Amino acid sequence: MLYLLKVEGSSLEPDFVEGDFVLVSKIPFFFRPVRPGDVIVFNHMLYQTMIKYVERFEPETGEVFVVGTNPGSIDSRIFGPIRLSAVMGKVIWHIPKKRV
Amino acid sequence: MFYELLAKIDRMVGIRRVKAHCDIPCGIYDPHQAQVGALTVIRMLDLMADLTNAQKTPTLEYHNSITRHIAVKEEHAELVKREVRVIWGDYMKQEHIDKYPELPGLVHKIMQLGSKCRQGISRETAMDLLAAVNRFAEIYWETKGIATKRVKAPYKPGEEIVYPVL
Repeated sequence: MLYLLKVEGSSLEPDFVEGDFVLVSKIPFFFRPVRPGDVIVFNHMLYQTMIKYVERFEPETGEVFVVGTNPGSIDSRIFGPIRLSAVMGKVIWHIPKKRV
Repeated sequence: MFYELLAKIDRMVGIRRVKAHCDIPCGIYDPHQAQVGALTVIRMLDLMADLTNAQKTPTLEYHNSITRHIAVKEEHAELVKREVRVIWGDYMKQEHIDKYPELPGLVHKIMQLGSKCRQGISRETAMDLLAAVNRFAEIYWETKGIATKRVKAPYKPGEEIVYPVL
């Protein structure tokens, strides 16, 4: 229900940079569904545990379209929408590393 | 403070990673090659000047050495341009330009100085190229949240270079 994770990669820069920590939980989704702007962590068959922004959620099909902020981001624009069941949770606490 | 605590825990037990994947090679950008390229251009100009000053009557050996120095100068001035182009085109984003309005002009300046260094033999131009690349490196590391320091390169030509403080 609660995961502490460390960010790798640059697809969410400048909001999340490599080395940041995030606390992730599914609990917020018990109170309201996934919605655009949420930062979520999910499992992907090929890319494993990923972190992205939610661009849109289709409740009828249970599909979540996720994107990064970096133009080179590997996300739903490349691998398509993900299943809601693959979502591990939402970022509820962002612990950034020191920025200059 | 909380970050430092988590970083310590991570070093001890290894906190699980979550990937913010990008295009391959993901996030591997470093202006260091461009800086080394600019230093090499200066070094080649110095070697060319030394060689020419020492050799009043050009020999075959002189022609061979000076040709090699020119070739390396050409190659490294172009390397500077290529490395900066890659970071500029693949890494820098609109928010970076918004934060550092000097960036587009700086990149254009590096392109022009790189070409001038290929065309000519002015040490002053090569120093201008190094200064511009160093500034580019400073901005790049700042966008990564990494502080930098300026030090004299520990090898000839011993000019100032920007290093990340890691």
